[in-house]
Amino acid sequence: MFFIDDMLLRALGITLPGLDMIWTIEQIQKFAYKGLYDPEKIKNQIKETRLLYEFGELDRKEYEEKNSDLMNKLDMAMKIEEMNLNSKIDILG
Amino acid sequence: MVNMIKRAERNAPDSTAKYVYCVIPCPTERKSFGSLGFDAGEVYTLDYKDLAPVVSDVTYRDYAANEEEVVVHRNVVEQIMLEHSVIPVAFGMAFKTRKLLQIAMSAGYLAMQKAQQLVDGKVELGVKVFLPKDQLEMESARREECSSDFLQHLLAVSKDWKKLKLFSDRLVLNAAFLVDKSEVDEFSLQVGVLTEKYDMLKVQYSGPWPAYNFVDIHILGGKRRGFR
Repeated sequence: MFFIDDMLLRALGITLPGLDMIWTIEQIQKFAYKGLYDPEKIKNQIKETRLLYEFGELDRKEYEEKNSDLMNKLDMAMKIEEMNLNSKIDILG
Repeated sequence: MVNMIKRAERNAPDSTAKYVYCVIPCPTERKSFGSLGFDAGEVYTLDYKDLAPVVSDVTYRDYAANEEEVVVHRNVVEQIMLEHSVIPVAFGMAFKTRKLLQIAMSAGYLAMQKAQQLVDGKVELGVKVFLPKDQLEMESARREECSSDFLQHLLAVSKDWKKLKLFSDRLVLNAAFLVDKSEVDEFSLQVGVLTEKYDMLKVQYSGPWPAYNFVDIHILGGKRRGFR
């Protein structure tokens, strides 16, 4: 089966406004995912939250809620990383 | 080595494992530290040449790095540290059989011997200097000056140190120090003096810990459980 997609059309020098719009949205989505689900960033937030709790800036309840949210976010980020959702497979190498 | 691991894994029962908390110099005979381990299991020593992994028998499973489980691991190590110099082992290291554990000990033996010399009679102490809510705009030159002052005084009473990641914009210093047990009081005194000097900042002083930041032994690679 052969698919003609935006990449192929772009390689042939053909641009279609509709596909360009999809490409732009994909790029925005990609950056949004990268910002939201960067495992390193989330791990830093988990450590910072713990420190804020230890310094008394968060009470136990606030800490537990925030920590639980961040752990779920980290879990999601790791899954995204494993599934490699953020990058397309480059067939041409 | 890979064949030895595969053979040992084939002969392993599915449900049980030996969870390793740390490694200590081998005592003259098997030593029990009581029922402090996971699932209230007995924590005891096995022997490998002049080293002894400290283990408990557990159900083989994935160890989630959640607070309760990490606390169990940490409490066991802290208990053992009262009597021995420990080579720390990462959280979650469970080996399906004693044979697999011996293979890992064999692979890491030389590195562990070196680590044993490094940690002998020493502990790790942690210092974090943190900006309070109302001081978030502290100038970078002032931050640098404060960080240098802490380091200058604390390095004088430590054997080694590691700069750790500044995981928050509010962190001015995050460092681990390797300190002789006999110098811990002097180190604490210095931390106290600096905390008073910089009373507008928040200082977190923690430890004594095993030398987690000074021992980094990787035995084989990949995701094979017990061999990370």
